[in-house]
Amino acid sequence: MKLRFWLAFYIAKFGQAFLKLLRKNATYFPGKVAIKICPEFLKYIDRPKKIIAVTGTNGKTTVCNMINDILIDNNYNVLNNRLGSNINSGIASALLQHSNFFNKTKKDLAVFEVDERSSILIYKYIKPDYLVCTNLFRDSIKRNANTDFIVDVINAELPKDTVVLANADDLISCSLGKENPKIYYGIDKLDTDVKETTNIIKDIKTCPVCDEKLKYEYARYHHIGKAYCPNCGFKSPESNFLVKHIDKKRREIIVKETKKSYKYSMLSDSIFNIYNELSAIAILRTIGLSATQINNSIKKMKIVETRLSEEEINGKKVITHLSKGQNPVAASRVFDYVQSVEGNKSVILITDDCDDAKHSSENLTWLYDADFELLNKENIKQIIIGGVRANDLYLRFLLAGIPKEKLIKIEDELETVNMLKCEEVEKIFILHDIYKFDVASKLKELLRKKLNTSEGEKE
Amino acid sequence: MKIEILFPEFCNIYGDYGNVIYLKACLPDAEFIETSLNDEPKFITEDIDLVYMGSMTEKVQEKIIKKLMPYKEIIKQKIEDNKAFLLTGNSFEVFGNYIEEDNKNKIEGLGIIDIYSERKMFDRYNSIFVGDFEGIEIIGFRDQFALQYGNNADTYFAKAIRGDGLNKSSKLEGVKIKNFIGTSILGPILVLNPIFTKYYLRNILGIENAEIAYEQDAIEAYEKRLSEFKDPKRTF
Ligand SMILES: [Zn+2]
Repeated sequence: MKLRFWLAFYIAKFGQAFLKLLRKNATYFPGKVAIKICPEFLKYIDRPKKIIAVTGTNGKTTVCNMINDILIDNNYNVLNNRLGSNINSGIASALLQHSNFFNKTKKDLAVFEVDERSSILIYKYIKPDYLVCTNLFRDSIKRNANTDFIVDVINAELPKDTVVLANADDLISCSLGKENPKIYYGIDKLDTDVKETTNIIKDIKTCPVCDEKLKYEYARYHHIGKAYCPNCGFKSPESNFLVKHIDKKRREIIVKETKKSYKYSMLSDSIFNIYNELSAIAILRTIGLSATQINNSIKKMKIVETRLSEEEINGKKVITHLSKGQNPVAASRVFDYVQSVEGNKSVILITDDCDDAKHSSENLTWLYDADFELLNKENIKQIIIGGVRANDLYLRFLLAGIPKEKLIKIEDELETVNMLKCEEVEKIFILHDIYKFDVASKLKELLRKKLNTSEGEKE
Repeated sequence: MKIEILFPEFCNIYGDYGNVIYLKACLPDAEFIETSLNDEPKFITEDIDLVYMGSMTEKVQEKIIKKLMPYKEIIKQKIEDNKAFLLTGNSFEVFGNYIEEDNKNKIEGLGIIDIYSERKMFDRYNSIFVGDFEGIEIIGFRDQFALQYGNNADTYFAKAIRGDGLNKSSKLEGVKIKNFIGTSILGPILVLNPIFTKYYLRNILGIENAEIAYEQDAIEAYEKRLSEFKDPKRTF
């Protein structure tokens, strides 16, 4: 076995050096080859003394980047799989890259983003000291099936002494590592909270102890909030790191710990991103950084918003936003954001999941898990659906109660702009799938032309 | 018309609620009853025209079996009496004889339909399906951990045109006994199949002249999907 490891190690190591020489991406292939030659490669490759794993349905990349940036800013000697994949081969490549020719790592600390489904192949060999989980929701039906399955997959090989940092407001994340030591983080009651959310899906609705329907002290979206069981007394855990106050004006959050509260600069005012920032703060405080160290680094950071762009064109605001296909929670969050923005607006939707369609025909079950109903608002004047799935989305919008007069469907995505009536709206949203960034920018280009000429015609 | 939705807090994980949304749009005068796992199912004691149950997680299957086991004989009688049941996704597995897990452990099922399931948690089956149901082409998505086995030659729901039946060596999908239909097609089967839905409302629920909501729009979407599903260049 050991011999096989060394064979894998040197082939992959030279391969990595060679790819680098050719300026090719060396973050995936070497690890894949290494595991192919030696399936237990991850067991033998040297690793830093301390390992932090970050997982979860949404936000894990953002959180990983934040943790890495703050650590590097504070002169920690850290390695990560930022440029590679978040499955076993990506982690193998990252470890390989930072080890010398005698399989000795040059780093003290590793921060790995881990794909939930790959957990079972990773934790068997790479024992994280800490596991940070951002949240767990229903995700791609083909790969991730359901949250019970994902929790089992993560728990299957999770070492008993890994400290789990879980979102206290998400009871599904809380069910990770039943016997493991736990640290919780959460956000205290907000003015925008409700007693019960109206989202179609809540991946946990009943008490994990007695199956009674859960009630909420406060609910935020889907199953996120502070829950309790009216029957047996079960409730959401208390947070060790609790956001007590959000000051949107001064862009600050106050995080309460057991003894003291600390102020941090706020990177983004969406609740989703506050959770992300909070989880990064929680792990960094846990491994010994001071609040001042963390905050000084945060102040220098900017969230690179690839998911969102805003542009003012001839007096109208054009907003593009990523709306990942096949992910009903992500879609519902985006719809909620669109409906919450003030003013009259129109929405162009290009959310065909080409990646899924490539293999057969896009799985549409998620359409009925996502809250299209949220777009049924008086101030949303037009919804224009582009793409091969336009008929299916059109029907979904009708069933969400949106009047036919507001809806337009067209297969050619680039034609959507021509259908747009710009006069009565102040804002135009372009919601697009992850594989449609290029189409979204083409649409923006067409909109620039359209908005500028229509103004010209008026004059 | 009374329609009971069984255990929606658990049995709605793959877009299954789409069926309820569509039924509500098609039958605005019908009464919809949602029954939780900790409540007693209404159809046991009351006259319910349609009992619907959608997909659930594998863990929940055991809870549902435990819940319905005391009513096994009553359910058999209801089926005998032509009551309509519609079960989508893995919910009809609980009505079979047993579900065999990866470790060969057998979870005893309700034993109402003569099939059994073999669950493989690391060999997920993903496929699209086109089948013939009494001359109507049914399309659907299938993503499942378990496949079914048993003889449904006289009791199948749809005959596969593309895709598989109960399992990879079967062409006969699901189970239909009188007005009891169980199919592994996931989620919003009624929205995705408007022609079938019209037939279902008229011939199975017995609502004369029943119309379906947004018929033309639904058919347009269906026809486009059907042509994709039948396109030999697309793989399964
Ligand atoms: Zn309870």
